[in-house]
Amino acid sequence: MMESTHQRDLLTTTVRFCRALRERGLLVTPAEAIDAVKTLNLVDLGDRQEVYWGLRSVLTSRVEDLPIFEELFETFWGFNGSSPQSLKGLLGGMPPPTTEVQEPPPTPKRPTKGMALSLERWLNPDEGQGEPIGLPGMSDQEALIDKDFSIFGAEELEEITKVATRIARRLAARPSRRRKPTRKGQWVDLRRTFRRSLKTGGDPIELTFQERKTRKTKLVTLCDVSGSMDLYSRFLLQFLYALQNSFARVETFTFSTSLSRITDHLKGHPYLSALGRLSGDVRDWSGGTRIGPSLTTFNKEWPSLVDKRTIVIILSDGWDTGEPEELAEALVTLKKRSGRLIWLNPLLGSPTYQPLTRGMQAALPYVDVFASAHNLASLKTLERHLYL
Amino acid sequence: MREEIRKIQELMEQEAYITDPAIATSVYLAMALKKPLLIEGHAGVGKTEIAKVLARALDTNLIRLQCYEGLDATTALYEWNYSKQLLRIKLEEASAHSAEEKEAVIFSEPFLLKRPLLQAITQDGQAPVLLIDEVDRSDEEFESFLLEVLSDFQVTIPEIGTIKATHHPYVVLTSNRSRELSDALRRRCLYLWIDYPSLAKELKIVQTKVPGINEQLAGEIARFMQTVRKMKLNKVPGVAETLDWATALVALHASYLGDEVVRETLGCFVKDKGDLRKFQAELDAGHLAGMITPLP
Ligand SMILES: Nc1ncnc2c1ncn2[C@@H]1O[C@H](COP(=O)(O)OP(=O)(O)OP(=O)(O)O)[C@@H](O)[C@H]1O
Ligand SMILES: [Mg+2]
Repeated sequence: MMESTHQRDLLTTTVRFCRALRERGLLVTPAEAIDAVKTLNLVDLGDRQEVYWGLRSVLTSRVEDLPIFEELFETFWGFNGSSPQSLKGLLGGMPPPTTEVQEPPPTPKRPTKGMALSLERWLNPDEGQGEPIGLPGMSDQEALIDKDFSIFGAEELEEITKVATRIARRLAARPSRRRKPTRKGQWVDLRRTFRRSLKTGGDPIELTFQERKTRKTKLVTLCDVSGSMDLYSRFLLQFLYALQNSFARVETFTFSTSLSRITDHLKGHPYLSALGRLSGDVRDWSGGTRIGPSLTTFNKEWPSLVDKRTIVIILSDGWDTGEPEELAEALVTLKKRSGRLIWLNPLLGSPTYQPLTRGMQAALPYVDVFASAHNLASLKTLERHLYL
Repeated sequence: MREEIRKIQELMEQEAYITDPAIATSVYLAMALKKPLLIEGHAGVGKTEIAKVLARALDTNLIRLQCYEGLDATTALYEWNYSKQLLRIKLEEASAHSAEEKEAVIFSEPFLLKRPLLQAITQDGQAPVLLIDEVDRSDEEFESFLLEVLSDFQVTIPEIGTIKATHHPYVVLTSNRSRELSDALRRRCLYLWIDYPSLAKELKIVQTKVPGINEQLAGEIARFMQTVRKMKLNKVPGVAETLDWATALVALHASYLGDEVVRETLGCFVKDKGDLRKFQAELDAGHLAGMITPLP
C-alpha cells in the first residue's frame, strides 16, 4: 500500500516532468513519457546520477535540450538542488505526507495554490512557461487531426468543440429501429388501424401511422483528472464541456482519488468560468488515481443515471494504484447496468503503448470498446461507437 | 548503480573504451528498450568507437553503414549480383525454361547482394550491432527511409517481396550535426551527447590507448588539451587528435612536454592554418608552461 503511494507519486512526477519538458520545446510526447516510466524501472532508483543519465537519454533529443533538462530535473527531482532528499523521499523510506509535496517548487512568478495549481495554470496560459512554441506545419486541418492532444495549443481547442457538437447532433438525431405510433408518418400501422376499425364496424376510417422512434440514448462520461492524465485532461475536459452543452442527456464526472459530479459546473457557463468553478470544487485535481473506488462510488451513489439505454464512457490512462479486483468488480456492475461500456485511453494513441498496467488489465475484459482518445481523429471515430 | 549498467561499463572498458556512467546508462537503456541510440558530439570524441566496442563487448558482428551525400535506399539495402545473373543467363541459354521462369530465377534471393541494412536484419545467429555512421551526411530522403526501416524492421524488395527482420539489431547512429536531423528520427532514438572528455577521462584514455607512455607525459598532455579546448580555435581537437599526438610523442621518446618537441608535433592536433599560427605565437611568447594547467 505504502509502496503503491510511492509508485503513484513517482508516476505523477514523471508525467509532470515530461509535460514541463514539452512546454519548453522538447520532443516529449506520451510515447517518451512511457519510456521514461520504463526507464525508472530499469535504473537504480537509489542512484540519482543514474536516474539523471537514464531520463536524459530518453527525454532529450538534441544538445540544445540538455540545459533545459538539467534545470527542470533539478526542479522536479532535486538532483543537486536545495532538496537532496526529495527523490529519496519519493522512492522509499518515509512516504510523503500528501501528494502536494510533489509539486515542483513554484517559480516566483507562479503562486502555489495546492491541488488546483495546474488548473489555474491552464486558465492563465500566458503565465509561467506557457504553451509549446509554434510547431511547424501544424496549423492546417490535416496536421491538426492527427496531432496528439498533449501538444495542442489553446487556439486549437475550438476544433475539439466542433467535433463534440457534431457528435452531439448525430447522437440526438440518430433514429432507432423501434417505431412509435404517430398521426403522420412513413408507415401505416396496419395492426393498430385494424384494431381501431373494429370499433367502427370494420371500416378502416382512420389510418394509424408510425415513424421511427428516436431512441433516447443517454451518456455518462467519467474523466480521469489525476496527475498522470495532466497531458490530456485539459483537452478532454474541453470535449466534455462541449458535449455537455450541446447534448441534453449527458452526465459528466471527474475522478482521481475520489469522484466529483461536474455536470452542473459545465452546463450553461462559459468555458473559462466553468473551469474556474471546477478548480474550486473538484477534489484532488492532478493527484493520484483510484479508479476502482471512484467507480464503486459512482455505482453506489448514482445508480439511477445508468440503464440499458446509457452509454458509459470512461476516459483514463488506466494507471491505477488501487486494487485491480475492486476495479474489476465496479466494472462488472457498470457493464451489467449500462447499454455499452467504452474505455478511452489517450495512451493508446502511442504506437508503443501496451495496456499492461494492472488497472488496465483488470478493466479490459469488461469493456465493450477500448479505443484511444489522444487526438481529434480518435474523437471523431468515437462517434462510431456511440450506438446501442 | 544497476548491476547491468556496471557490467556494460566493465565490458566496454575491457575493450579499451573509457566509459562514463552517462555512456553506460544510455547503451544499457538502448538495449533494454530496444531503441536505436543516436550519438552526437564534436569530431573525434569517440562516437563511432562506441558501436565498434559494443560489438566486441557483446561478441557479435558489427555491420557498418557509412553515410554520405547521395547515398540512396537501394545502396544501403541490396543490389543485384549482375555478374552472377549474367552467368546464369548464359548457362540457361539452351534450356527450355520460359523467359518468365528465367527471370524469376535470377531475381531471387541467391542473386541478391545484401547491403548493410538488409544484412543487419537478416543475419543468422546473434543480433549484430548496426552502426549507421555520420547519418547527418545523408540527405533527408534517405533519412526518412531509414526511419521506416528502423520502425518496421522489414524491407520490401519489389522482385522478392517483404523481408522481415529475424531479430532487432542493436542500432547506433552517429552524427556530427552538419545538418539538423528530423524530429521524427530523433524521437525514434535515445539520445547521447558526448562532450569533450574531462581531464580525468582523457588521462585515462591516453593511458589505456598509448601503451608505454610515462605518467608525467600522459598527465601533461591531458592537462594541455584542457587548455587547448578553451582557446578560440577553428578546429578544436578531439580525443583522436590527443591520441595521435601522444603516440607521436612516445615515438619521439619524449618524457615531458618541452618547447621543441611540442613545436615539432603541433601538426598532430592542429589541423588549421590560422590555429597553427596562434599556437606558434603562444610558444614564441613562452606560454607553454602556462598552458599545462595545474592539476585541480
Ligand atoms: N572514451 C574513450 N576511450 C577510449 N578511446 C576513445 C574514447 N573516446 C575516443 N577514443 C578514441 O578516439 C578516437 C576517435 O574516436 P571516434 O572515431 O569514435 O570519434 P568520432 O566521435 O566518431 O569522430 P568523428 O566525428 O570524426 O567521426 C578513436 O581512436 C577512439 O578509440
Ligand atoms: Mg565517427
